[in-house]
Amino acid sequence: MDVPVQQFTTKAEQHLLDLYQQSADALPGNAAIAALRKSAIETYAGLGLPHRRVEEWKYTDLRGALDSVPPLLADREIAAGEADLKTAIGTVFMGLPAYRLVIAAGEFRADLSDVEGLRKDGVEVGALSQLLESPPEWLTDSLKESAGRDDTVIALNTALMTAGIAVRLPEGLTLQKPIHLIHLDTPGNAGSIYTRNAVVAERGASATLIESFGTFGVAGMQRNAVTTVSLAANSAIHHLKLQREALETIHLNVWAANVGADARYNAFQVSMGAALARNQVYVRFDGENAATDISGATLARGTQHCDTTLVVEHNVPSCESRELFKLVLNDESRGVFQGKIVVAPNAQKTDGKQMSQALLLSETAEFDSKPELEIFADDVVCGHGATSGQIDEELLFYLRARGLPEAQARALLIQAFVGEAFEALDDEEIANAFTAVAAEWLGTPAE
Amino acid sequence: MLEIKNLHAKVDGREILKGLDLTIPAGEVHAIMGPNGSGKSTLSYVLAGKEDYEVTDGSVTWKGEDLLEMEPDERAAAGVFLAFQYPMEIPGVATMTFLRSAVNAVRKARGEEEFSTPDFLRTVKEKAKLLQIDIEMLRRPLNVGFSGGEKKRNEILQMSLLEPGLCILDETDSGLDIDALRIVSDGVNALRSPERSMLVITHYQRLLNYIVPDRVHVLSKGRVARSGGPELALELEKSGYAEYGQDEASAA
Repeated sequence: MDVPVQQFTTKAEQHLLDLYQQSADALPGNAAIAALRKSAIETYAGLGLPHRRVEEWKYTDLRGALDSVPPLLADREIAAGEADLKTAIGTVFMGLPAYRLVIAAGEFRADLSDVEGLRKDGVEVGALSQLLESPPEWLTDSLKESAGRDDTVIALNTALMTAGIAVRLPEGLTLQKPIHLIHLDTPGNAGSIYTRNAVVAERGASATLIESFGTFGVAGMQRNAVTTVSLAANSAIHHLKLQREALETIHLNVWAANVGADARYNAFQVSMGAALARNQVYVRFDGENAATDISGATLARGTQHCDTTLVVEHNVPSCESRELFKLVLNDESRGVFQGKIVVAPNAQKTDGKQMSQALLLSETAEFDSKPELEIFADDVVCGHGATSGQIDEELLFYLRARGLPEAQARALLIQAFVGEAFEALDDEEIANAFTAVAAEWLGTPAE
Repeated sequence: MLEIKNLHAKVDGREILKGLDLTIPAGEVHAIMGPNGSGKSTLSYVLAGKEDYEVTDGSVTWKGEDLLEMEPDERAAAGVFLAFQYPMEIPGVATMTFLRSAVNAVRKARGEEEFSTPDFLRTVKEKAKLLQIDIEMLRRPLNVGFSGGEKKRNEILQMSLLEPGLCILDETDSGLDIDALRIVSDGVNALRSPERSMLVITHYQRLLNYIVPDRVHVLSKGRVARSGGPELALELEKSGYAEYGQDEASAA
C-alpha cells in the first residue's frame, strides 16, 4: 500500500507503518472504515512518533522509548476464564456489581461479557469489530470526530483498531449499575493491542463506565486504547479507570469527550502499572452550563514513567472544569502532569481550576508539571497550581508519638495525600474499591 | 516512675537543656513552669523522641528503662503520651480512622488484643462524651477546621484512649477559654490515678487551679531552678518570672 512518509528516524516508527501495511486487509471494517484507516495512517506517517521537541510530549519521549514494535494481537483463541480475570483485575474490582465486558488479547470476548444484560436494560451495545462492517451513523460520527484531532496516538489507533465496544445510551436512560470494561493483555507472546471504544449518551441519559486494565504478567506489551465519549444535552457520564498493566508495558490511552449543554463528564483515573504510561484526556464543551471533573492519582515506583496530559476546551460560555491529580513517586520514577485549559473568545463566565500535587518519596523521583492556560475571553475565573514535596516530618512525628510505627505512619500520610483526589468519587462502593487497590500498593491493609 | 538526670539537649546546634534533673514518682502530678525560652517545650519533645532534638548528656529512665533509646512509637507503646501544644492537622485522615490506628498500634505493641470495630466505637463514644466531644466531629479529617478548644479536647481524648503511664501536657491551656479549660481539666483529672504520672507544662498558674499538682518546678535556662508545692505556683503568679530571667533568644 502506498503511503507518503516523512523521513522516519527510528526502527519502531517504520515497524508501526509495517504493522498497518501487513494487516490492513485483515483489519475489520467496510470500505468506508478502510478509507478512514488509510487516512489515519497517513496522518501518522506525516507526524512520526512524538519526541521531546514536540511541545505536547516534552517530558515523554515516546520515540526514544520504543525500540521495536511487537506484532498486532487479535487472538480470540486464548484461554481466559473467571480465575484469570480475578488475577488480572483483582478481587475487589471483580466484586463490584456491574455489567461486565471483556477484551482480551485484542479481541472482544462475548463469552465473558454481559452484553445481554445491557441490551435487556435498554442499552444499544455491540462489539466494534462487528459493527465496523456496517457501522451505524453514531459510530461513524464518533470515529470521524476524534480522527479530526492531530494526535499520533489516536491516528495509530484509528488505523489499527481491532476490538472494542460501542455503546449508545438512548434518551433518558439512567443505567443503575456501572459498565465494567476489562482490558487484558495475553498469556501468550507479547504483542501490540489496539482497542477503540465509543460511548454515546443521548439527551438526558446517564451511566458509569469503569475501564480497568490488567495483566497476565507478560512482558513487552504495547497497548493503545482510545475511548470517545459523546454527551448530548443534559446527559452524564462517569468514566473511571484503573490501570494495573504489567510493569514492562507501554500504555497509551486517550479519552476524548464532547460535552453538550447542561451535561456532565467526570473522569477519574488511577495509574499504577506500565513502564511508560501516557494518559490523555481531551474534553471539549459544545453546549453551555456543562461541567467536567477530571481527577485521579498516579502511584509509581522503580523506573516507571507516568504522564497525564489534559486538554479542556471551553468553546462556549458558562461551563465549569475541575482538575485534581495527585502523584506519589518513589525510587527513580517520573510523573508528568500537563494541563491545558483553552477558553475561546466567546466563552465568557468560564470557571476553570486545575491542581496537580506530587509527593516525592525519594531523592531521585521526578515530577514535571506544565499548566497551560490559553484564555481569549475576559470574564472568566481560571486558576492553576502545582506543588511537589516530601512527607511532612512534623506530621510523621505526631503520628509516631501516637504509637504508629514509622512505616504505618508514612503509609497513612501517603494515603491521606492521595485520598483527596478520591473524594471525586461519589459512589461509595467504587470509592472503596479504588481506595483498596491504592492501599494495596502502599502495603497497608484496607479499612 | 520517671527519672531525668543531668539532661543536656541541643536544637539546631544550640544547647537548650543544660543539666536538668527531675523525678516524678508514680501517681504524682508535677507542674513545670518557667519563662519563655527556658526549655519547657524542648523537654516535652525530648521525652517524646522528636528527631531534631539531640541529647548530648544525661539520662532519662521510665519505669527503669532507657527512654532515650526508644523510637517515638516505642515510647508511646511504653506509655509515654505528649499532648501537643499545637496538634497537627492532617487532611485526608478521618479522626476516627486515626484514633483507631493509634489505639490498635499501641495495643498490638503492648501485646494486647486489637479492638473490634464495635468495641472501639463504644469506647470512643464513652470517652468522647466525658470531654463533650460530638461524635460527628470525629468523622471530620484530623484537627482540620477544629477550633483551639476542639483540638485540645481531641488531644485529651487520645490520651484517655491510649491509657498512658506518663502524660506530658505541653501548654494545654494555651488558646483555651475558661469553659474549654474546665472541660479539658476535668478530662485530665479523670485520668489521675496511682499508676499514672503527669507532667503539666504551663506558662500560667491558671491551669493549676484546675489540675492541682503535687509538685511545682520552675525551669530557668535549661535547668530546674526551684521546686516546691502547689503554693509555689501562686507565688510565681504574684512575682512573675523576673528573677528567673529570660534567655536572650526565646527557644520555646
